[in-house]
Amino acid sequence: MKALTGNMLQDGEAVFWSHGRWVARFRDAELFDDAGKAEAAEGAAKSQQTVVVDPYLIDVIESEGLWAPLSFRERVRCLGPTNHPQHGKQADGGDDIDALRHAIGAARSTGRVNLIKRK
Amino acid sequence: MYQYDVIDKEFTDDRVAEFREQVGRRIAGEITEDQFKPIRLLNGLYLQLHAYMLRIAIPYGTLTSKKLRKLAWVASTYDQGYGHFTTRTNLQLHWIKLKDAPDILAALGEVGMHSMQTSGNTIRNVTADPYAGATADELDDPRVWAEAIRQWSTLHPEFSFLPRKFKIAVTASAKDRAATRVYDIGLAMRRGRGGELGFEVMVGGGLGRTPYLGATIREFLPTRHLLSYLQAILRVYNRYGRRDNIWKARIKVLVASLGAEAFARQVEAEWEKSEQEQVDLPDIELARIRADFTPKFEALKPRSEAVEKLKASDPAFARFLRHNVHPHKVPGYALVDVSLKTPGQTPGDMTSEQMNVAADLAETYSLDEIRVNYTQNLILPHVKLDDLPAVYAALKAAGLATPNIDLISDIIACPGLDYCALANARAIPVAQHIAERFADPERAEAIGELKIKISGCINACGHHHVGHIGILGVDKKGEEFYQVTLGGSGEEDAALGSMLGPALPADKVTDAVEQMVEVYLRERRDGERFLDTFRRTGVAPFKEAVYADAH
Ligand code: HEM
Ligand code: SF4
Repeated sequence: MKALTGNMLQDGEAVFWSHGRWVARFRDAELFDDAGKAEAAEGAAKSQQTVVVDPYLIDVIESEGLWAPLSFRERVRCLGPTNHPQHGKQADGGDDIDALRHAIGAARSTGRVNLIKRK
Repeated sequence: MYQYDVIDKEFTDDRVAEFREQVGRRIAGEITEDQFKPIRLLNGLYLQLHAYMLRIAIPYGTLTSKKLRKLAWVASTYDQGYGHFTTRTNLQLHWIKLKDAPDILAALGEVGMHSMQTSGNTIRNVTADPYAGATADELDDPRVWAEAIRQWSTLHPEFSFLPRKFKIAVTASAKDRAATRVYDIGLAMRRGRGGELGFEVMVGGGLGRTPYLGATIREFLPTRHLLSYLQAILRVYNRYGRRDNIWKARIKVLVASLGAEAFARQVEAEWEKSEQEQVDLPDIELARIRADFTPKFEALKPRSEAVEKLKASDPAFARFLRHNVHPHKVPGYALVDVSLKTPGQTPGDMTSEQMNVAADLAETYSLDEIRVNYTQNLILPHVKLDDLPAVYAALKAAGLATPNIDLISDIIACPGLDYCALANARAIPVAQHIAERFADPERAEAIGELKIKISGCINACGHHHVGHIGILGVDKKGEEFYQVTLGGSGEEDAALGSMLGPALPADKVTDAVEQMVEVYLRERRDGERFLDTFRRTGVAPFKEAVYADAH
C-alpha cells in the first residue's frame, strides 16, 4: 500500500494527497494498492508546482487496525517532533495519532519510494 | 558591539526587497523550485520535515539585548515561541512559513541581523571564542579579527561559489573554546618572539563523513596580513578543490590529498604574488572596528561581600558559582554561563520568554552583551560580582541556572530526525534521556567534566567525533541505532574519537553511558577527567563493560 506526500509551498506543512487535494492529516490520505494509480497521482502532484514541493510516494503498513507510514521518518512528519508533543499535528491527539506513535518499522532509508534521485 | 553603518543597512534592506520579490515570483509560479531553492538557501531558508527552517546568523556569537529581544519577538510572532541555538552559534527557527520569510528578514534587518551566508558554498558565519573580550587568558579580542573577516567575506564576489561551504573560527587564547581544529580554517592567536601578535593558521579540519583535524600550515602569521593570507588559502582552494563530488569537495580533502606541506607551499606562493596591501586592512579601519569592542568597565573591588555571604548560606548558589561562573580579565567582574541544558529539555532550545529574560539581564547587568557558545549555551560576559546574586535569582526563576556547564548533562545535540530532513535517527531524545539519568547535580559534579555530543547522521552537526563520548545515530534495517565513539576532543587537545564497538539500539544508549561512567569512576586516578582516564586506559575496559551482556 502506498500514499503520496509532500510539503506545501507556502507554509512548508507536511501534507498528503487525497483525490487531487492535499490534506493535513495522514488518516485522510488516499491509499493506493495499485502502483499505476499511485504513479499517476505522483505525476499529477508534480505538476502542481505552485502548491506543493517535492511530492513523493511512501510505503504504508498496518498499525492497530489503522494505516501508518512504514518509515519512522515519515511517521515523524505525520506527527511532529517527538521532543515537543504539543507541536505539530500530534497536538490534536486521536486514535490515528496513537496508531502512528505505536507503529514500528523503518527509520529512514526505506519507506520512501524512489529515494535515490538523480543529482 | 559592532554597529552596522548606513551602507550596511541599505544593503541589507535591498537584499530583503530582492528576496521578497523572488518569493513572490516563486509563489506566483514564475520560477520553479529548482530555480528558487538556491535563492532561498542563500537566505538561510531550508525546507525540513514539518516546515521551513530559518537559520539566522549570529556573527561570532555576539548579541545585544536589542537583537536578542528581536529574535524572541520573531520566534513568538512567526514560530512556536522558541528557537534552537546551534553548534555554529546560529539560531534556527523550525516552524517558518515561506510567505513570512521576507517580513522576518525585514524585522531582523531593523536590528542589523540577517541570514546571509548561513547556507550555500560560501564563507559561512564566522565564529570566535565565546569568552572573547572578557577572559584573562586572551592576547587580544578575537572578534576584532572575526568582524574584519565577516566584512571581507560577506558577498565576496570571488568566493561566492566555492567548491563547498567554508567555515572559519578565531581564538586568541591558548585554551580553545572555539573548536578551531575542526574548522576549514582555524585561527589561533600567538605572540611572536618580538612581542608582535600573529595567528597560527590551521587548515583542513572538519567533521562530517570524513573527519580531520586541521593541519598547521603557518606557525605565525603577523595579524596585519590576515586577510591577504586568507585570500591566498581560498584562491588555492577555489582553484584545486573538487567540484565533481560533493563528498570530496571540502578543503579538508584537498589538504589531505596534497599533504599539508605541499598545500602550504601553494598558499605561500599565491600569497607572495598577491597584492597584499590591497586586501589587508589599513590600521585606521582596524582601529574603527576595535573601538566597537571596547566596553567601559568600572574600577571595582576584586571581592564581593554579597557573593561570599550568599555562597556560605546557599549551597545551590555555591554550586552555580563553581560551574557557571568564570574569572574575568577585569577585577570585580565575572563571566556567567546561562545553561540551556536543564535535564529533560531540548539542548539549545530557548523560549521567547527566556530570551527576553536573558536580554533584560544583559542590558541591566552585562554591559548589554550576551554571547552564544557553540556548546549551545549562552553567556553573560561582563557581570559585576556584586550583581551575581540578582543575576542568579533571575536566571533560576527562568529555568536558566542549571549548574551543569561542561558536566555530563551539558550535552550537545543536533535537531536530528525530530526536524532534519537529512537525519537517520533522533538525537534530542537521546540527550534528554541521558541528562535525566544524570540529573542529580551532586552525582554530575562527582563525575566531573564529561562532554557528550550527539548527531543524528554522519554530517556531524552535533560534533560527535570530538565528544569525550560521541553518539552518532544510524539507521540499521529501519531501526534507530547509535554508534558510540570515545576520547574525542574539540579543544586544544583535539582528537577524533575512537569506536567503542557495534552500534547500540536506542534503549541501550543511556545504560551504556552509565556503564562507561562506572568504569571511569573505578579507574580514575587523582584529578583525571573522563577523557584523561580514557586516554590512559584505552577503549578496552569501556568496551568490556558495555558489551559484557553480549558475550
Ligand atoms: C537543515 C538542517 C541542516 C542541514 C541540511 C545540515 C547539513 C550539513 C551537512 C551536509 C554537513 C556535512 C558537510 C560536509 O561534510 O561537507 C553539515 C556539517 C555540519 N553542520 Fe549542519 N546541517 C543542518 C543543521 C545543523 C545544525 C542544527 C547545526 C548545529 C547544531 C549544524 C552545524 C554543523 C556542523 C558543526 C557541521 C560539521 C562541521 C563541518 O565539517 O562543516 N548544522 N551540516
Ligand atoms: S547531523 Fe545530520 S541529522 Fe543532525 S542536523 Fe546535521 S544533517 Fe541533520
